[in-house]
Amino acid sequence: MTMRFTRRSFLGTSILAAGTLAMPAILRAQEGPIKLGTLTPLTGSGGAYGPVMADVVKKAAGEINKAGGVLGRELVIISEDDQTNPEAGLRAARKLIDVDKVSAIMGTWASSVTTAVAPVCWQSGVFLATVSGADSITKLPHQGFIIRTQPNTTLQGRKFGEFALELGAKNVAFVSPQTPFTESQFAALTKAVEAAGGKTSILIYDDKKTTLRTEVDQVLRSKPDAIVMGGYTTDTAVLVRDLYRANYKGKLLGFGYAVNKQLVEALPPDVSEGIVTLSPSAAQGTGGYKNVARLLGVDSPDTYSCQIYDHLNLISLAMAAGKGTTGTVIKDNVRKVAQGGGQKVDNAVDGLKLVTAGTKIDYDGASGPCDFTDIGDIEDAQFRYEQIKDGKIVLLKIA
Amino acid sequence: MLTYILFALVIGSVYALLAQSLMLSWGLAGLVNLGLAGFFAVGAYASAMLTTWGHAPIPLGVAAAMLAGGLVGLVVCFSTLRLRDDYLAIVTLGFAEIVRLVASNEVWLTGGTDGISGIPVLVPRDAGIWFHAGSLAIIAAAVAAVYLLLRRLLRSPWGRSLRAIREDQTVASVAGKSIVRFKAQAFSLAAAIAGVAGAFYGHYTSYVAPDLFQPLITIYIFLAVTAGGNARPAGAVIGAYLLVAFLEATRFIAELAPGVSAVQAASLREIVVGLGLVLVLSFRPDGLLPERSQKAPAL
Repeated sequence: MTMRFTRRSFLGTSILAAGTLAMPAILRAQEGPIKLGTLTPLTGSGGAYGPVMADVVKKAAGEINKAGGVLGRELVIISEDDQTNPEAGLRAARKLIDVDKVSAIMGTWASSVTTAVAPVCWQSGVFLATVSGADSITKLPHQGFIIRTQPNTTLQGRKFGEFALELGAKNVAFVSPQTPFTESQFAALTKAVEAAGGKTSILIYDDKKTTLRTEVDQVLRSKPDAIVMGGYTTDTAVLVRDLYRANYKGKLLGFGYAVNKQLVEALPPDVSEGIVTLSPSAAQGTGGYKNVARLLGVDSPDTYSCQIYDHLNLISLAMAAGKGTTGTVIKDNVRKVAQGGGQKVDNAVDGLKLVTAGTKIDYDGASGPCDFTDIGDIEDAQFRYEQIKDGKIVLLKIA
Repeated sequence: MLTYILFALVIGSVYALLAQSLMLSWGLAGLVNLGLAGFFAVGAYASAMLTTWGHAPIPLGVAAAMLAGGLVGLVVCFSTLRLRDDYLAIVTLGFAEIVRLVASNEVWLTGGTDGISGIPVLVPRDAGIWFHAGSLAIIAAAVAAVYLLLRRLLRSPWGRSLRAIREDQTVASVAGKSIVRFKAQAFSLAAAIAGVAGAFYGHYTSYVAPDLFQPLITIYIFLAVTAGGNARPAGAVIGAYLLVAFLEATRFIAELAPGVSAVQAASLREIVVGLGLVLVLSFRPDGLLPERSQKAPAL
């Protein structure tokens, strides 16, 4: 065996094989449907959220297609799995961009995946709509190709601080796994609490541990009267259980995406009783949230499904407004349909009719008003405050 | 499409470097190294920090990655001298996790979970297709260099001694071979190669973060080396390229399956990857290129 022969024949065969596999995709790409990609975590630690996200996009695109599509063309959604891993996410993104030739990628969830995928998107002229929260993402040199619907973490931290004070807490502990936004969130929370004369402390835990008993003991040593939990559903469940075992009686605050129906169902009612949650919310009475609930057939869809639903609608409307289907058209027109006054719409089907008729629209979505700053952050978000009572999530207020 | 193929080949080349590293430590020296992702991370971070923050030239970064990988490899090897097989596997797996946790929590040193973005690239990015082709040429040249080096080492008395140690430590020791020295050399060299792979990965994708270095990548490389043949450099290289071709091809196969949802397709892919490993192990337990027994040289 010589190396040259083997390598060459291998390269040849693999290129041939890859080429054959991609053939239908090339044929399809000539004219006809508009292709959009979703890149959500279908497996890995984000696996609790990604499948529903991919599902809601497919269903919403189905409704748009039934009503005539965008610019008279059908929307085709290609769903890839980022495996909650930047390496796998990057490979999937390259496939979406180079083989499927999508105009936009929606729904990247983990901040590390978004940061890995972002340069590839803006260099290929592909629009990227994400739900990642890390402040650093919109500070990348993305030339307008990125928007995110997740409120940036400084804002969330401040809201947590303010709400803890409202509940009468003076000594607030922030307990969270290490994430790209842990620090900025804690800094904003501390600023809000200290302004009112309170004090804060922070504890970072490893989100892959199955018990957090030592961490809980450490937190309780400073006798906090409110604990803000910064993790996701799986590790928050562990934390809540261990806090209950340690007989903690103070306030518990968590993110709406972590303290959700799954968590409530996984824990006995007296363990989860009284946890207050906070999540970005649509203004009360808008139809976007109800649309997502209807598409998914659930009462309270999670914020990520709402956000990716907004991504799809904004991208469809921007393409219609700009009369083109490329990523550049989307980036140049997305703010024209998202903000700046005009007729309010909460779904793409109605919006597309108005845009075609030449009416100026202002999209308010399922996740919030969807108005974007120049670097792609959302300008303002309303928050939904809820509390668990008797194993049920009850709405306190929207503000 | 061409970009995608070139991209897959670059990733395949990075995997090929990792696979050759594993071939050396596991296939030749018999040291089950589940810490591969850790050495990959050490190299990636060493080069990324030096070139992004220190503005050092890339060749210097790659050299630093090699050195850092080698040194860390030496430390891990000396702290696990008395361990073999399963015990070594457990300790090295723990090492990789420690590297990942340090990288996410020591924010002052590594930038934390944000990672390091904007790492300088091998070929200017605005060169379009030539960015991928150029990077591929450089990384493939590194694969070839490592391949030639390993082939040379394998044929040398050094390679024979390693195999002897792998087969029976006591016998090799009785024959006057210094077990510790050979093991440390092999393990350290393997770690250095993994470090180089990490450096190239960072210089191609411009981004490193702790999340990249989950144990998943180690498993993939074990799969590649098992499929290709774990005691021959050519086997490791071919296994790595085959693995990437296989991982990417499963995307298209999953798309062809009618009536499956996105999450089912993703799970199907993982099933197919697992099934692939089982099939290879049942039909070609020694991989595509099994180890050749070497005849003693004629006197």
